[in-house]
Amino acid sequence: MKRLGGMFWAFLFLAVPILGVATFAVAPSINVWLPKDISEHGSQIDSLFYFILVLTGVVFVATELVLFWSMWKYDAAARGDEKATYIHGSHTLEVVWTIIPAVVLLFLAIYQMNTWANVKMRRPDMPPTVEVVGRQFEWRLRYPGRDGLLGTPDDIHIVNDLCLPVDEDVLVQLKSMDVLHSFFLPNLRIKQDAVPGMKIPVWFKGTETGSTDIVCAELCGWGHYKMKGRVTFLTRPEFDAWLARMEAKQEATHEEVASR
Amino acid sequence: MSTVTAPVTTDHGHAPAVNPHPVLTFLSTYVFSKDHKVIGLQFLFSTLVWFLIGGLLALAVRWQVAWPWSDVPVLGKLFAQEGGQMSPEFYTMLFTMHATVMVFLVIIPILAGAFGNFLIPLMIGADDMAFPTLNMLSYWFMWPAFITFGASFFVEGGAAAGGWTSYPTLSTNVNASPGSGMGQTLWLLGLTFVGVSSMLGSVNYMTTIILMRAPGMTMFRLPMTIWAMFITAILQAFALPVLTAVGFMQLADRLFATGFFSPEGNIINNAVAGPGGGQPLLWQHLFWFYSHPAVYIMILPAMGMVSDILTCFARKPLFGYRPMVYSIAGIAGLGFIVWGHHMFMSGMNPALGITFMVSTMMIALPSAVKTFNWLGTVWGGKIEFTASMLFALSFVSMFIIGGLSGIFMAATPVDIFIHDTYFIVAHFHYVLFASTAMGVWAAIYFWFPKMFGRTMNEFWGKTHFFLTFIFLNGTFFTMHILGAVGFPRRLADAYHYETFHHLQPMNAFMTWCAIGMVGSQIIFAVNFFWSMFYGPVAGRNPWNANGLEWTAPSPPGHGNFDYQPVVYRGPYEYSPPGMDTDHLMQTDPPNPASDAAAKETHSQQRAKEVHRPKAPGGR
Amino acid sequence: MMQARSLLSVVPVVAMVLAMAGCGPTPPASFRLNMVEAVSPTAEKDSVASDQELTPEQQKQVATILLAMFGTPDEPVCLPEAGLDPAKLRLAAGPVRSDIVGRKNGLFREHCVHCHGITGDGLGPTAAFLNPYPRDYRPGIFKFKSTERADKPTHPDLVRVLNNGIPGTSMPSFALLSPIEVVALVEYVKYLSIRGETELALMRQFFELDEEDKGRLSETREFLIAEVLEPIAAKWTTAADAVIEVPAMPANLDLAASIEKGRELFYGDKANCVKCHGVTSLGDGQANDYDDWSKNIVKIDTKLDGIATGDADAKERQWAAEFRQVLAGDALKPRTIPPRNLRQGIYRGGRRPVDLYYRIHAGINGAPMPAAKGTVAPEDIWHIINYVRSLPYGLDGELGADRSVAVRPASAPGLASREEK
Repeated sequence: MKRLGGMFWAFLFLAVPILGVATFAVAPSINVWLPKDISEHGSQIDSLFYFILVLTGVVFVATELVLFWSMWKYDAAARGDEKATYIHGSHTLEVVWTIIPAVVLLFLAIYQMNTWANVKMRRPDMPPTVEVVGRQFEWRLRYPGRDGLLGTPDDIHIVNDLCLPVDEDVLVQLKSMDVLHSFFLPNLRIKQDAVPGMKIPVWFKGTETGSTDIVCAELCGWGHYKMKGRVTFLTRPEFDAWLARMEAKQEATHEEVASR
Repeated sequence: MSTVTAPVTTDHGHAPAVNPHPVLTFLSTYVFSKDHKVIGLQFLFSTLVWFLIGGLLALAVRWQVAWPWSDVPVLGKLFAQEGGQMSPEFYTMLFTMHATVMVFLVIIPILAGAFGNFLIPLMIGADDMAFPTLNMLSYWFMWPAFITFGASFFVEGGAAAGGWTSYPTLSTNVNASPGSGMGQTLWLLGLTFVGVSSMLGSVNYMTTIILMRAPGMTMFRLPMTIWAMFITAILQAFALPVLTAVGFMQLADRLFATGFFSPEGNIINNAVAGPGGGQPLLWQHLFWFYSHPAVYIMILPAMGMVSDILTCFARKPLFGYRPMVYSIAGIAGLGFIVWGHHMFMSGMNPALGITFMVSTMMIALPSAVKTFNWLGTVWGGKIEFTASMLFALSFVSMFIIGGLSGIFMAATPVDIFIHDTYFIVAHFHYVLFASTAMGVWAAIYFWFPKMFGRTMNEFWGKTHFFLTFIFLNGTFFTMHILGAVGFPRRLADAYHYETFHHLQPMNAFMTWCAIGMVGSQIIFAVNFFWSMFYGPVAGRNPWNANGLEWTAPSPPGHGNFDYQPVVYRGPYEYSPPGMDTDHLMQTDPPNPASDAAAKETHSQQRAKEVHRPKAPGGR
Repeated sequence: MMQARSLLSVVPVVAMVLAMAGCGPTPPASFRLNMVEAVSPTAEKDSVASDQELTPEQQKQVATILLAMFGTPDEPVCLPEAGLDPAKLRLAAGPVRSDIVGRKNGLFREHCVHCHGITGDGLGPTAAFLNPYPRDYRPGIFKFKSTERADKPTHPDLVRVLNNGIPGTSMPSFALLSPIEVVALVEYVKYLSIRGETELALMRQFFELDEEDKGRLSETREFLIAEVLEPIAAKWTTAADAVIEVPAMPANLDLAASIEKGRELFYGDKANCVKCHGVTSLGDGQANDYDDWSKNIVKIDTKLDGIATGDADAKERQWAAEFRQVLAGDALKPRTIPPRNLRQGIYRGGRRPVDLYYRIHAGINGAPMPAAKGTVAPEDIWHIINYVRSLPYGLDGELGADRSVAVRPASAPGLASREEK
């Protein structure tokens, strides 16, 4: 009876690695997985994610199986009159399982430095494509107008609807008007906090046309969930045409037929 | 077996004629007691009540996440005009206070305050703490915290709503959010009180452990619980002053118009928000300088207690005692140089993303070492599946998940995607709830007999474990894949984004699991209170464990021990070879046969592995 | 001792029963009665008196009539005379849920209620913490539109407000909703506004009653619909006729000269913009006026203060005290309305030149911004507009770039509250 009890618990713990792996295995097929990547650098981040997933997955399964095995084999009910093994440790094992993880972890850290530098440190030398200002609770966008300079009267002001040219380097100048926000583009693997008082450059390149979400990823007040924006990649001619349309709307001196 | 040959002294080592006890009233015995056991129980009861409150707040959060803008049970009455749907600022308050209550009013005080207080003198063989009055104060300083946090729910604007991390400029400005009014001020005050309470406690624990150990209790014969409490106390002593200072800075910004965190020209909700000249990032650095060590404060004691429980129920010595001690020290030390990993996206100099990545990756190492040593402890054991043991085993199992998920966020480029998503929420709930809280339950089931003289019901304990285990994994494991989609934290309604539109059913599933999880705690609560009065009477040592606390009566009286304990060995002498008994308590007089067997085993092992002369007599 | 112990085990059971008492679904949402109006049902708020107050029976009658004419937040009623589209109303009304086809209902509750309130009275839970306050639709006054001052906004006006949001306020842009959803919300706003104005009209009708009416309104179709509802609804349907005629901007305009001329007009006597907007254009001129919503409350406040300090009898004082209670629950603390800081480049009603034309020509309904129509010639308005648009860029010389963009001095009261009185 007690043996059954022990087996029951051992199998309960076996469920952890089984269901754990199953969850991650099934997730992509039910569309609960990394969103579609339409950026140039995103694949580097995704492959790092997968690399770590496999590495941690192996360690996870191995350690949980050891735990299960111990619970199964060394159940007191199964041991009968045998005593537990009287051992205080193993110097060799300690060395082995200190050095190997240390090397792996250090390797992991060093392996990723280049990707980080690409996304956050190696800023391209170009003028900003657009200024994005987070504000409770919207994204205020400002494009340089015909003079190509930000901060002049011909700037084009838009809210929440970020359009960008595809297959071109884009430099966003990120600011905040009031509190912390965070400019998160899930499909471009981009995230950067917008800090009031700071002007932070964010650069990326979209590789596919289409619209995806802009999400605010830093609590900014009651409307944090509302700060939905949309980023749309257009071909260069489409983008220029769109910008021209926005400029014309902004400079309207008479009412057009109601449209967006 | 606790006969002792050391000379018998008076119960607490002072001659009765010189220092007679003052007459003890009800108040001084049960309310303003200076006895560490009473204080420990006071902490325990208070924190368990707040655990319930924090859990209910979490259910309200989960309700909104699963069914946004629907009629909320019970709380919907507050929003009767709108048909019961909660307002968005109410949601931000809910998750802020859930985290605040759990971190500051539950986990930190239950580990250090309840178990630290109760166990430290008992496990080291002292009659009380070094500073009993200070100890009492450290409990009573929690009450102003309880009152301020509790009152903050009822002030105008409601309780703090800027996240438990309370970042400026959202939290520093009255105009930025309804909860950033009086609620935030009370929050900061409450934090200060908790900090003072912890600092008082940490001083006490360090002094007691260093100075008041029983004869023969060398540092390397201390149980892991004590090592963990000791190092946690050091962490608290060094880290808390920073939190207290930065809390004062934010209070000053709010009340005295200083500008520590307020950037130039900041306008919030159409009002000037501060005098300028400051930096919002300064808060983040100082806050995380404390709060990262805080997360280790919130797990190390549980790690220590789990080590003690695993060894007892596996009937096997701890695998790798010294590596375990050094690992705890390593976690604590490294814990001071990793705070920037909470700020990778914050706008701080990106070069710090490299340095903090390295230190954060390295801090996984001592945790890994500990996990392997726990596995080594259980391997080859003779496992009794008591409720306490099940919780302790699940600590190991869940900590593996929580620790490994941390590696994803240590990887700075990957953190670009998963920062502020449910991946992070999964990680910290695995380490804080699935690990620490499970460790706390293991400890409660284990030391309950010592505290109350009766054991808790085993059947209901196992039922409690089973249900909690199933439901918590259903709730929190799913969060990993939610995070992989990029599902953000702290959103009152995420489903209007195309990316997250389809995730509502999964969140509904998680909420049902969460409701089940909180509901299962009713079993624990009933078992806890019922057993206190009606449980089977426990003797001194119902688990046949080795620690000094098991030589004292259950519950221990004033002064703890009948006789001054003298210690002859470490705390993990289970299943010593060549003896009938399967455990040797620390106070059992030296037994030539068993000690020789033990020494031989030790020195045989060492001779095989390390080729250098050793000092005679082992340690 | 045993007694105490067994009592202890009863405690968790009692606690659970009490907790269950809080369980059970919340009753459906309901519209609030305009209580401030019910106590003072007159347009002349500074002459309110205790004998005007509607009795509970009269309040009940108003509520019943409104229920019949407009329904509830979950089930709106749409009389044909109201001129609204019932399908759109159904999309916007009700609790947030999806129908069988997967279409979302409850749009208003999902997006608008927590600021604008279930009744559209600007008294949602968040409202007190916002600056400026969210709009109260009930008086039927809307600020940012293309029609003459006293007229209602057109349908495209409201769509534009939803799509652009109102920059500089907490009203966000809803451009990312589908067009159908935006239009449904606009329809529901109109519905709430018509309902609010009907409520005001009904309450004020009690003054027109004779002795023989015995304090009850007639409930005939002829009275309720033809006399009360139709005039209100008609103003909405005819709004498009009141759109301001915007003359074309003069061709071949020398921008610099236009800005110079605009500056002259800005500082001149005819337009006298500096009186409120300040010689610095930072909005620091005369700034002690109120918008219409706050003005009502201020007038009532003054009247009640007068009663408290004067030699009114006990009954008056009692009434005044009760009225204060009503205000505490049903009105937001009045705030002065600051003139716009024109150097920020934030234009609440839209930044297009034509939007600025509307603002200057017709003023802003509900706010102290006066209409320049009749005082300033149309082409001169264009010059002012060009000058104003240049202000954020400091192109007018010595005043400008180095001045801080302070909107309100830091010492002004922070959060307003309904309770603070």
